[in-house]
Amino acid sequence: MSDRTLRVLAAGVAAAGVGVAGYLTWAHYGSGSVVCPVGGGCETVQESEYAEVAGVPVALLGLGAYVVLLALIVWDAPIARLAAAALSLIGLVFSTYLLVVQASVIEAFCIWCLANDVVIAPALAVVTSLRLRS
Amino acid sequence: MADARQQRRPSGLVVALAFAIAVGTAIALVVLAVALRTSDDTTAPTPTPVVDLTGIPQAGLVLGSPEARVTLIEYADLQCPACRVYTESYFPEIVERYVRPGRVKTEFRGLAFIGPDSETALRYVLAASLQNRLWQLQEALYRNQGDENSGWVTEELVRRLAAEIPGLDADRVVTDAGSNEVDALVAQAAAQADAAEVGGTPTLAIQVGDADPFSLQPGIGLSDLTAALDDALGS
Repeated sequence: MSDRTLRVLAAGVAAAGVGVAGYLTWAHYGSGSVVCPVGGGCETVQESEYAEVAGVPVALLGLGAYVVLLALIVWDAPIARLAAAALSLIGLVFSTYLLVVQASVIEAFCIWCLANDVVIAPALAVVTSLRLRS
Repeated sequence: MADARQQRRPSGLVVALAFAIAVGTAIALVVLAVALRTSDDTTAPTPTPVVDLTGIPQAGLVLGSPEARVTLIEYADLQCPACRVYTESYFPEIVERYVRPGRVKTEFRGLAFIGPDSETALRYVLAASLQNRLWQLQEALYRNQGDENSGWVTEELVRRLAAEIPGLDADRVVTDAGSNEVDALVAQAAAQADAAEVGGTPTLAIQVGDADPFSLQPGIGLSDLTAALDDALGS
């Protein structure tokens, strides 16, 4: 896969992350109500004590991280690539933690969070790491 | 001037160092997240009722005049903080502008998806509905909402709150909470929520006459809610 393709892929996945985290942030500040197209645990997860860190919504932290990632991907200098890979790794670890919390503590899954934790964060970590080799 | 993309690639050592810092940061973030998770920002009790329901007709799950053509349906979980916000911030104005004058009636459809305390609370308020005091008890429970599934919905709490509600027999509430009648009400609300594809709480819907209810946008603000009610009243 060419570096250009990886870059476009990384930007697309980061943009999806902005979309998901942005929606959850909007829902958090708007009402606490989340449209839950699959399952039904979105509200449970969003309203749990794990949805905030020191009063800051986890979704907002994610939104900030994805915006920074997108900027790093656009910048694309070697140092930006390294920073993007490192930030993606932080996101992957934190997403794994959120996944474990949903499964074992809250015992409910939010489809939006799963999309982030299972698809977006791992994909971004892989793609940004692969770009370090090119 | 050298293009940024032609800068030297970081060495393997720098990459390893960056990844080590990233893993360390991630672990620190997880530890912080566990230690600083927010749990008490909305749980302080509100000491006095936020709305006076005296003199407003109440029958079972419905508050307001049976003659009112417009019904505001509320799907709620008594442990849901956003439902508490709705009750404390929006509900008083809805009551004074629409329900007390007999223009709109409002119907409670209780859900129990957050956990065991949701179902316990739901059973108590549905038991109060058998004495036509559901709305007073649910308002009192919201004001005293505790941490999710911390065991905050106790018989002692319900007895204390019920004692402050004129016309509500606390012994009967406690007994009726385990009754078949309340079982049926719990099942009825769950079925209605399934049919309406309720994905979260609070979910509000408006019904005009016998027409199918239409759900309002999640997170609707008070001004949009009153506008929707005004539209329904004018339709």
